[in-house]
Amino acid sequence: MPQIELAGKMYEVDEDGFLQELDKWNEEFAEAYAHAEEIEGKLTEEHWKVINYLRNYYQQFGIAPMIRKICKDLKIDMKKLYELFPTGPAKGACKLAGLSKPTGCV
Amino acid sequence: MKDLIKPADISKPSAGLCRIEPGDLATLPPPYEDFNATVLKPLPADKVKALETSLDDTLAIGIPKPATPEEEEELVRRFLSGLTKLFEKKNNWTFLQPLLLSMEHCARCQTCSEACPVFEMSGRKEIYRPIFRSEVLRRIYKKYLTPGGKMTAKWTGDIDLNWTAIARLAELAYRCSLCRRCASVCPIGVDNGLITHELRKLFSQEMGIAPKELHEKGTVLHLRAGSSTGMNPLAAKDSVEFIQEEMEEITGYKVDIPWDVEGADILLIHNAGEMLAWPENVGAFAILFQAAGLSWTLSSETTGYDAVNYGLWYDDVQLARVALRHADIARRLKVKKIVIGECGHAHKALIETSDRLLTGDLNIPRESALVTLEAIVRSGKLKFDPQKNDFPVTLHDPCNYVRLMGIVEPQRRILRQIAPGFREMTPHGVDNYCCGGGSGFAIMSGYNFTDWRNLVSSRKKFLQILQAFESEPPQTPKYVCAPCSNCKGAIRDILGYYDAEKRSRLYYGGLVELLVNALDGMKKPIILFGDEPSWK
Repeated sequence: MPQIELAGKMYEVDEDGFLQELDKWNEEFAEAYAHAEEIEGKLTEEHWKVINYLRNYYQQFGIAPMIRKICKDLKIDMKKLYELFPTGPAKGACKLAGLSKPTGCV
Repeated sequence: MKDLIKPADISKPSAGLCRIEPGDLATLPPPYEDFNATVLKPLPADKVKALETSLDDTLAIGIPKPATPEEEEELVRRFLSGLTKLFEKKNNWTFLQPLLLSMEHCARCQTCSEACPVFEMSGRKEIYRPIFRSEVLRRIYKKYLTPGGKMTAKWTGDIDLNWTAIARLAELAYRCSLCRRCASVCPIGVDNGLITHELRKLFSQEMGIAPKELHEKGTVLHLRAGSSTGMNPLAAKDSVEFIQEEMEEITGYKVDIPWDVEGADILLIHNAGEMLAWPENVGAFAILFQAAGLSWTLSSETTGYDAVNYGLWYDDVQLARVALRHADIARRLKVKKIVIGECGHAHKALIETSDRLLTGDLNIPRESALVTLEAIVRSGKLKFDPQKNDFPVTLHDPCNYVRLMGIVEPQRRILRQIAPGFREMTPHGVDNYCCGGGSGFAIMSGYNFTDWRNLVSSRKKFLQILQAFESEPPQTPKYVCAPCSNCKGAIRDILGYYDAEKRSRLYYGGLVELLVNALDGMKKPIILFGDEPSWK
């Protein structure tokens, strides 16, 4: 299993860089990982809104919500979401939030 | 480089049996010439060191290299044990006969090679030739499992069975999308697709070797959580509730999606990926069924809201487990029939392949949604305005229910009635080409496999789509109708990879969306081209 070092700690990730041990997630992980997902500078309040929303939904339902639901519930449009997470909500945002890679026919 | 690879080379250690060089792949027309020199990015050195990468430039499974010679021997022993089982009636009662026929008869006429999109698009790489893989297995079978085989191998074509050959064969079983176009053209009925399928079965059922997207994150997750997407019943209900709200907002039509209605006429089972990635498909079905006054329901029982059955592609045991669950849920709900949504392999798995499993009270009538949709259109209960679909449309034929099940015309009769800009691909119907995402390819994305799919296995489909619309100006939005979740995923990825939304204004979606888009009484269109509504 590949490992990645972020802010001085080692994390197990899958082939695509998704965190494998979901309970190891912490805010420093997200902050240190942001650069690899093409986010410049520190994470803003808007980034955290998305990340916390994703984590909350995942804890409740075991999956990431559909993209349209993220936009609607957080009142941001798709364009803004991609501005915040240039590698995309399913990849970048979920990765920083410490969610598993999406599975199934999606 | 002249490609002189022979079946016997499969057991000879080397860095690789096939490399795609710039210019090898079939040529793309303008404005896509800049992709013509694109090849796969090399696999990282640590992967090459740790995994079995000696087949070609990509990895579908990523089998770890055995640590010791003893481990290798054990793997060879297990392969032979699995092979023996494939050829025994008690262990392979479902597929033994067609397998034996395909093992015994091949005239090497190469008709199949000309029909295979992977072989053609790759620049005719020997290892992707449909009979290459079959010939390797045929030689192993004859040498090791038929009487006197070791003696006659010298004349019938020898091959050494070692771990190198087996590891390559496992990966090679995932360079064919099981579209079975080859089988449909073989003059004597040899089925190279079936041989590939049997190989995948041997690896999964006997050796525990399968792509993680199909097994661990596929059928295992499906049976445990309720869906290969990981959705539990609560999540499915939450997603559908959201879709319900969205539909009203998007189209102005208020829809109520029924759950767990005992005694309904229809249990509709979608590929649950639709709920997350293509919610408008699920919403469009609900609008149409409600508008037509059908008695129908979804099931919120674990597995009952996800029609997928990845076992179809690699493992008969997993296939049976999922199929039995689907049928049993319908039995307990006391519905009159099951209708499978726009998902090709789910059609094949539950309607056809499981036929001999589903006996007695599990033998519930099972119908394709395309048939249900056509019945709605023909009933005359609903009015459609074809002018709302006044844009170029072409139709993709999902292999599983078109070539492999013969459901060819219902979708066409619908399109001729509601889509004035409909034109066929060349070729089409049972002769159409795979989207390149068949047999699980669309969801397999580890390492650089997605690139291999976009460059090689989906290339023919991309060329066909471009050709269908070649008379249209680039700025006109065009719709590729692909009534299958897997195909939609593959087509979405091709359009993204080749930047085709921007360059050719290509969009894609299902069939039911076109119906709802043209449905009388809708305040707004369900189909959008980017931000642009398809009608005003």
